[in-house]
Amino acid sequence: MAHPAQLGFQDATSPLMEELLHFHDHALMIVLLISVMVLYIITCLITTKMTDKHILDSQEIEIVWTVLPAITLILIALPSLRILYLMDEINDPHLTIKAMGHQWYWSYEYTDYEDLAFDSYMLPTQDLSPGQFRLLEADHRMVVPVESPIRVLISAEDVLHSWVVPTLGIKMDAVPGRLNQTAFITARPGVYYGQCSEICGANHSFMPIVVEAVPLNHFEAWTTLMLEEA
Amino acid sequence: MAGHEEESKSKGFRLLGILDVQNTPCARDAILHGAGGSVTAGLLHFLVTSRVRRSYHVGFAGFMLTTLGSWFYCRLNNAKLRVQQRMIQDGIKNKIVYEGTVIDPTRKHGAQTPPGPS
Repeated sequence: MAHPAQLGFQDATSPLMEELLHFHDHALMIVLLISVMVLYIITCLITTKMTDKHILDSQEIEIVWTVLPAITLILIALPSLRILYLMDEINDPHLTIKAMGHQWYWSYEYTDYEDLAFDSYMLPTQDLSPGQFRLLEADHRMVVPVESPIRVLISAEDVLHSWVVPTLGIKMDAVPGRLNQTAFITARPGVYYGQCSEICGANHSFMPIVVEAVPLNHFEAWTTLMLEEA
Repeated sequence: MAGHEEESKSKGFRLLGILDVQNTPCARDAILHGAGGSVTAGLLHFLVTSRVRRSYHVGFAGFMLTTLGSWFYCRLNNAKLRVQQRMIQDGIKNKIVYEGTVIDPTRKHGAQTPPGPS
């Protein structure tokens, strides 16, 4: 999860987010170099003693400042498109989960094997235990097996919502009447937090998403327990 | 103690407020190489030509080229290592999961079959 006053991304938990972080570093280095170049040019302009009122054109510099930006854009576009197509690769998910957005909670349905469905409400601040995170904890987590490709089908029952888990690199709108699909693999066990990212009413800030990745045997035990409680 | 180390690691130094040089792989090396290349190129040009302003321009060009070159070289090696790491991790996982089963890829076909009647 994010730490206080964090500016950058969270650590990546899925391979896709690792690629996105890599691309972000690449793009930021290009941005830094462009900024340094602009600052240098401004410094040169301010400190020059020469003025020439008779310059009409200069073919060489025109070619330079046309070709260089084109090359820069290609250097940014190629890795970007690669990741874009990587996101849409057909993987063979081991599990499909439906995440439905409501005002103001999420509901999850595991219907592959048994009919398991539950709601996930935010834990109110007064009900938190020491060590739990304010506005992030939920009463029921979306538990998934670690290192297994998971497909999530996202929709909404009432208004627009958005299902987001930054550390997995997932952001997908929950649109009523539409089914959006995303997929992820968690590289390690843990608890991963996200928050609704599409304004949906008074409690838009109070419907978090909590994904818990556990080993497969723990996941099977959890599903058995949830089915018994239902 | 561990908390203090994590805190200092998380608060990286952002060059021009843009790039976190401490926590971004290859960034620190690229900037340092760029600085070295800039000083070298500018100084050499000045020693040869004694033109101050032009040497500044050459030094700046040296910075850009050296930084970019070092950055791409380091990132390319980094990406190759990450691919190898993922392949090794998948290989270890598959070996553990499939070892001893019928679909074990390292199992020699026909090695277990008994010889025919004599």
